[in-house]
Amino acid sequence: MPRRRLLLLVVPGLTLCLAAFFFFFQNRGEAPRELKDISVPPETASAAGEDETRTVVLYFLSDQDGLLHPEQRTIPAGPAVEWEARRLIEELIKGSRTGLISPLPPESELRQVFMIRGGTAVVDFSKEFADRHPSGSTAEMTTIYCLVNSLTRNFSAIKQVFFLVNGNERETLNGHISLAKPFLPLRSLIAE
Amino acid sequence: MAKRTRFLTVLLLAGLILSPLPGQQTVTVRVQVRDYADFTRLTLESSSRLDTRLTRTGGILEIHVDSPDSLRLRTAPVSSRLIRSVAWGRSDGRHVLSVVLRSSDFTYNAFTASRPFQLMVDFKEGEAAAPPPVRKEGAAPKSAAQPAVRPPSGVRTIVIDPGHGGIEPGAKGRFGTLEKDVTLPIALKLKAVIEKNLSFRVVMTRDKDMAVSLESRAALANNNDAMLFISIHANGSYKQSSHGSETFFLSLNASDEDVRRLAYFENTQAELEGHIAAQEEEQDVLRMILWDMAQSAYIRQSSRLAELIQAELNALLGTANRGIKQAPFKVLAEVACPAVLVEAAFLSNPDEERRLLNEEFQNNVALAIYQGLVNYIRLYPPEGGR
Repeated sequence: MPRRRLLLLVVPGLTLCLAAFFFFFQNRGEAPRELKDISVPPETASAAGEDETRTVVLYFLSDQDGLLHPEQRTIPAGPAVEWEARRLIEELIKGSRTGLISPLPPESELRQVFMIRGGTAVVDFSKEFADRHPSGSTAEMTTIYCLVNSLTRNFSAIKQVFFLVNGNERETLNGHISLAKPFLPLRSLIAE
Repeated sequence: MAKRTRFLTVLLLAGLILSPLPGQQTVTVRVQVRDYADFTRLTLESSSRLDTRLTRTGGILEIHVDSPDSLRLRTAPVSSRLIRSVAWGRSDGRHVLSVVLRSSDFTYNAFTASRPFQLMVDFKEGEAAAPPPVRKEGAAPKSAAQPAVRPPSGVRTIVIDPGHGGIEPGAKGRFGTLEKDVTLPIALKLKAVIEKNLSFRVVMTRDKDMAVSLESRAALANNNDAMLFISIHANGSYKQSSHGSETFFLSLNASDEDVRRLAYFENTQAELEGHIAAQEEEQDVLRMILWDMAQSAYIRQSSRLAELIQAELNALLGTANRGIKQAPFKVLAEVACPAVLVEAAFLSNPDEERRLLNEEFQNNVALAIYQGLVNYIRLYPPEGGR
């Protein structure tokens, strides 16, 4: 009797897993199709040489005015926007070289970056990105727009940014700002 | 002993004969007295509505209670700064609660709430005490013999949302103060001052240290057909010197370019309103479809409310006008009425962390929010039973 009950649980469970697998598989299938159009220029650029680099602008927080200030950085040029976006975010996590504040928990790990329809970059962080965040409305806004403003400033293919935490959608970064929708750049937070 | 039993039997029989008709029910009336910082409140609570009338003679205030039901009268022991005793008596077939004050030099202010019926009488020392700071037309707290008895349908609800709670602490100060622990006392103070001066029902999303999901906070406002939603928070910033109070309303943060232009608009009110008006019809339809966009139909009023509250906070704290701000707060998104989020001060700033723990500062923040609220209600008076 218990075995039959177990079977009753296992069979629908497996079906669900399979369905989920196909669902995600299909979804991911769309991304490369989008990418072909977007990543043509970087591809040809990087084909020229292995050691090609590009200069990017990172935004960090200033303790003086509470605004995001630019800082230049050289990253290796990559074959696709996701690849370069990944390097850029890793630089943001590493922090500023000019005494500005990086509003990202240093324990944050970037899991993946991928592009979906409509110029939306999906940035997937490890759970530390949210759990180790100090919380607070202003702090959460700063974290989000340091990333969004940096990404949209450097990659014309990225129009907006959607955040995932540990592969999942998350209600808020850490109690305040909703992560339910993609973020467009917010220039009023930039000092320029 | 036998005599006493007989006496009780007679009393019981008399009680039966005199007892109300079968259609009547017995209603319990509870009286309780509590001291607050600057006033003493007597609350008379009953599960059904009562007609009450107040008369004052010297140091005694009599509350005459009329009800079709028979009343079971209960009073909690009184230990109060201003009130010496309360006692039930009868006069002209009515129940009368005599409230004896320690001095005849007092003023009082009575108002009622419904479900459960409550008559609240606030006593203050001093004959010439000024009337309550502000009044709302039509719903002013009645001061003299007639407590305000508004029909239940006309009593509007204000929802106060103390941020965070339970396992969800919010921002943390350098000395370990948690956001959840300062939002609650400010919210409770705001509740008290609203209930004291306005005839609104106040519903709290939490009144103790407990976790409440952001969804249920919004749902509570919507289920109570709230007129206003005020969320109270304490800010946190990576920049340690960040300071001051700020009032936020929702930014839609939508991907659609048009909605975006509306959302991130700089806060000149006239322009903002122009843009909002253009979007409003569309938003109204959207509201019906997308519950998570409920707030989008109220952006204009919310920005007004935020502006009025921020003005009071600026005046109170003597800070430069930081203006009102927009951000995509999850807790505001689903609220279907004007809604704002007040960041009282920065917990991440050690000076402000200390202030946030200070009772007087908490009181001042509550008063500023209250004053902004009153100014808003003057501009947008509630319509009875929306």
